[in-house]
Amino acid sequence: MRVEYINPFVESAYNVLKEVLDCPVTRGELYLKSASTPVLGVAVLVGLAGDVEGRVLFDMNRATAVAIASTMNGEELQKLDELGKATITELANMITAQAVTKLYELGFRFDLTPPAIFTGDNMEVSTSQVEALIVPMEVPQGKLEINVAIRERA
Amino acid sequence: MKLMGGMPNLNEKRPLGLRDDGTPYRVLVVDDSMFVIKQINQILTSESFSIVATAGDGEEGLEKYKEFFPNIDLVTMDVTMPKMDGLSALEKILEFDRNARVVMVSALGKEDLVKRALMTGAKNYIVKPLDRKKVLERIATSLKL
Amino acid sequence: MNGADTMSRNGTTGEKTGTDFKMVTFSLGGKDYGIDIMKVKEIVKYSDYTYVPNAAPFVRGVYNLRGEIISVIDLRIMFNLPAPQSSGEIQEGLILRLAGGDMGVIVDAIHGVVSVSSENFQPPHPLFGDVNIKHVSGVAENSGRLYILLDVEKIFSTEEVSRKPEPQVPTVDVARTKERAPAAEDGPETAFIEETLRTFRSFFVGPGNREWYRSRFLEWKAQRGEKDLQITSPAEADLFLASFYSTDSGRFWSRELADAFSGLLEKPAGKTVTVWNPGCGKGFETYSIAAALVEKFPDRGIKIWAHDIDLLAVSTAPNLVFPQADAPEYLRSHLVQGKNGYSFKSAIKDRIFFEYHNVLHDSVLPELDVVVARDLVSFLKDADRKKLIEEFHERLRPMGLLLLGTHERIDDPVRWKRVENKGVAAYKKIQPGVEGENEE
Repeated sequence: MRVEYINPFVESAYNVLKEVLDCPVTRGELYLKSASTPVLGVAVLVGLAGDVEGRVLFDMNRATAVAIASTMNGEELQKLDELGKATITELANMITAQAVTKLYELGFRFDLTPPAIFTGDNMEVSTSQVEALIVPMEVPQGKLEINVAIRERA
Repeated sequence: MKLMGGMPNLNEKRPLGLRDDGTPYRVLVVDDSMFVIKQINQILTSESFSIVATAGDGEEGLEKYKEFFPNIDLVTMDVTMPKMDGLSALEKILEFDRNARVVMVSALGKEDLVKRALMTGAKNYIVKPLDRKKVLERIATSLKL
Repeated sequence: MNGADTMSRNGTTGEKTGTDFKMVTFSLGGKDYGIDIMKVKEIVKYSDYTYVPNAAPFVRGVYNLRGEIISVIDLRIMFNLPAPQSSGEIQEGLILRLAGGDMGVIVDAIHGVVSVSSENFQPPHPLFGDVNIKHVSGVAENSGRLYILLDVEKIFSTEEVSRKPEPQVPTVDVARTKERAPAAEDGPETAFIEETLRTFRSFFVGPGNREWYRSRFLEWKAQRGEKDLQITSPAEADLFLASFYSTDSGRFWSRELADAFSGLLEKPAGKTVTVWNPGCGKGFETYSIAAALVEKFPDRGIKIWAHDIDLLAVSTAPNLVFPQADAPEYLRSHLVQGKNGYSFKSAIKDRIFFEYHNVLHDSVLPELDVVVARDLVSFLKDADRKKLIEEFHERLRPMGLLLLGTHERIDDPVRWKRVENKGVAAYKKIQPGVEGENEE
């Protein structure tokens, strides 16, 4: 992945999480994975378009998703219901959008597509052999992995 | 982001959502996220705005506007939505009613997007994550335009 | 049994049953032994040590304990006990923490940790057991078993053990080592060195760099002498490897190298010269390549994909800023001055995509004119190295150029034609069955 794309995603993840959860946010070390299947249980996929093609995958376990959604809604959710899913989806949307905005300022023309959420019951996201940058984030509600795979348009 | 729906208004002035005659401003909220609709709902109703309708995409947004016309005072419009995106819906609503008051609400803050929206005729552009204060300020300003 | 007799399961009355001494017990040649637990770092299963033939007979080999190379002693042989021949099985043993350093020992079977009272030690009988009496601190009984307590400091302070393995006439029994067998003239010492280079710096000695390695090894041995041959730290590995790195590694290419490189280039077939530069690091090499291409082919487009797995290094590359003195004269026309130093003009910068990328993963690239991969493949294990060189071959157009490190070779005349210009060697892809233009 082009190095110029990295910081916008890293910063955006940190900023948005900090703002919506209002809690300590720590980032783990970045690394590369050769293929990018979501593994933790709840995944939100946001497509990228424009100068590049790719997608951002937000991967976390159910408990973390419920905890984050609860914080964002200011109420305790018992499970990942429609509201909870919409909340996590919106989180993914905001992080991706902020990164896309930053990239625009750097001169890169990205667009994003509406996000889709996949949970254990309908986890049909296929494994793709696309290398992904992993940005591990940790908040009191749990861990989440932001998984970015981008390739330049030919 | 702190949600403070239900908190008493510390301001002596009347709630932002009420007109001089005491009737509430009527708002159409267009966003594909149930969460965002809930957020905007909470922020606006806490200031006595009246959410008269919601829509999940640009096409539905346009339909609802036409349906409720002329009883919509303000539209909040997301940008990234399936079927018809917010900019297209903005254009079409203004075609239908050139006095429509539309405020864009989006996680995307790209300069070209903001410019296009404002030049097309949006009254304001709010970038998510939503901040109660920011949302109310921008909406209050838009109502005066 | 009165209440004061507590912890030991010793049924005999009259004995104290405190537990002020703990030992790790094991069996060796049919007898039970114990070693003070304070001297034991960990219990291991040796499945992966490097067998070294013809070291002192009880030195089985060396073992890589998380980066630390330790000798592994077979106590059975040391004590002249029957020991099964090494047959590739997993062996049980201990890592000992000794005054002189860590040492590994192999035993028959580990039993576990036993607590005894030091008051119950008995001195070893002079005629007792097979083990040399000076190596035994005593004997202790526990649960009906008699444990011979070994004084490991004494055992391993003897001359025979602390002396490093002698280089002897080597045999080629290297069943335990992975990946490669040293050739007949390599001794056990080179096996050690190769292992440590691999461990400390992920440098793999293979057919492509063995020539350099052999001469470096002889040089190293002459410099350091027998006693000091071993590489015992990453810093020493770096010393050894210092002469491996290519000309102008880690800095802008000199005029000479740039010219030699330029001379190897052929006019590209299409409108754009496409280059893959895996292992680009901070980008010094990449910028040098870009400048050379811009000068040689002013009327063509240029696109360079520069990859590295070192995030810190490659992320500084797009905005590389440096003092003017760091840039050779011939590059200066491509530079622009900024607040903090000099950087390359956008005419050059815009041609390069610096990416954080593991080249062993799938890459997205068009057909290539040039691959510059200096000092990269030597840091890949065998299978990966072969795969990557194969990928270079696949991705290059016929007669496309591959530049490896100064001390890296490919010996495959059917698929790679060796070329040279002004002292710099490279390879051109031969497409079997295709009539290529013969450049020289």
